[in-house]
Amino acid sequence: MNEQPKISLIDALHLRQTYDAVKAKTVPHHRASIWYYFGGLALFFFIIQVVTGILLLFYYEPTTDTAYKSVQKIVTQVPFGWLIRSLHSWSANGLVLMVFVHMFSAFIMKAYRAPRQMMWVSGVILLLLILGFGFTGYLLPWDETAYFATKIGTEVPKALPIIGESVSSLIKGANDVNGATLTRMFALHVGVLPALSILLVLVHIGMIMLFGSSSPPGMKVTGETRYFPNYLIKEMMVWLLGFAILICVAVLYPWGIGHAYDLANPTEPPPGIHPEWYFMFLFQTLKIVPEWMVIIGFGVVAVIWTLIPWLDKRAGNNKKSPVFTIIGIVAILYMCVMTTWAYISVSQEQKESPASRQEKNSDSTNVK
Amino acid sequence: MSVGNNDLRGTSKRRTILKSLLGVSLAAVLSPILYVAGRYLGYVKGSKNGDVMIAQSDVSAEHPSKLINIDDQPVLVIFQPDKGVRAFTATCTHLGCTVSYQPEMPQFYCKCHHGRYDADGVNVEGTRPKKPLTELTITAKGDQLDISLKPKTKG
Repeated sequence: MNEQPKISLIDALHLRQTYDAVKAKTVPHHRASIWYYFGGLALFFFIIQVVTGILLLFYYEPTTDTAYKSVQKIVTQVPFGWLIRSLHSWSANGLVLMVFVHMFSAFIMKAYRAPRQMMWVSGVILLLLILGFGFTGYLLPWDETAYFATKIGTEVPKALPIIGESVSSLIKGANDVNGATLTRMFALHVGVLPALSILLVLVHIGMIMLFGSSSPPGMKVTGETRYFPNYLIKEMMVWLLGFAILICVAVLYPWGIGHAYDLANPTEPPPGIHPEWYFMFLFQTLKIVPEWMVIIGFGVVAVIWTLIPWLDKRAGNNKKSPVFTIIGIVAILYMCVMTTWAYISVSQEQKESPASRQEKNSDSTNVK
Repeated sequence: MSVGNNDLRGTSKRRTILKSLLGVSLAAVLSPILYVAGRYLGYVKGSKNGDVMIAQSDVSAEHPSKLINIDDQPVLVIFQPDKGVRAFTATCTHLGCTVSYQPEMPQFYCKCHHGRYDADGVNVEGTRPKKPLTELTITAKGDQLDISLKPKTKG
């Protein structure tokens, strides 16, 4: 007689509000709506990072004696280990690329205006966390390039007045890059950064579900698609395309590993040493501007970039703001020009180095 | 009215077909991913053909047993007055504890659940192990013995 009313799982988990918000969400159609896919693609590559990262953790050993050997074992002995590592490294690059495209498209489309200011802020923090993943993950294979790239990267903060030395030591966990640095980078890469970024990704997605997608001010909206399930299926098709491209690249160009770095027998850095492509604009800037100026300059730019939603008053009032569009385009151009310049000078250095000429004539033990 | 019902039925059929196709596509994408992850995680280190050299004098009537490690597997090298030096896998076939050799019995004994094997490594009836220990190949090389993980061929 006292039959209890049936409660759906959504109600039992107190997710009714979230479910209704997701069901009510629509995605507007206009001539720039293709850019909406890049946020989803960034999320997709982030998921691949988490999954392949967990798989790599099953075999990776984070000490200076074992790190290189364990990576070598993963790529040469463990079935499909080369594929998992290649996917992890290539999707890391895909993730950074998608995050940059997503950020600049959101900037130019003024998606940061009210009520989405905090979405922009969380996005900027996510970008910094993802660049942090790139920096901390770079050392983990403990090869020559990884060692010297980290050494250079951790030396840069030393140029800061007063606190420089302490900041550099704090990152390294020692006076120079050694086993303590590897442990520190590993802890950040698999513990601190994932915890923070997963939390922020959830906040970021939660806000897009709550506020919906923004249409650029003044752009004609021709219609809308329900997010769930219509747009989600479209988005998954794009993910599938991204996955297909990623698999092809990972299989055709497996991520290599350089020569092991031996702390007991120090060697010189390989010729033309440089960081990953997404740090190249910074790398080139550091070559032509004093380090302290670069740190302070980029620090100020990062703060201004985070505060854009409050600085762009015209966009806040739903009006076109061409000045900020120009700022965005200038930032993109700056990064492209500096990156190209950096690659040209690195390739020149490699050509000019006597070691590279010697290496061409001798067999390399490189696993690449 | 009847046309409307047919339309509805047609839509529902198309929907079912589309849903099945979506399911098949998802399975087609997920199965190779799961296969790769399964093979990757299923990797077991070490070969089944590893070997270790010991001195002949390491095992004798005075020192009737020696526990060695071959590719992370414990191996017991024993001396029996009637059969000479022999090597057996030292992993109990019950639940994997390391067994010891008791020359006075002579028997292999597992402390964990009181498992027993006779002098030829055959599990003693009434104790927990249901399978024998594996006798391994020994090759004499000068005053050294090459103990291999390869099972000894009978005869």
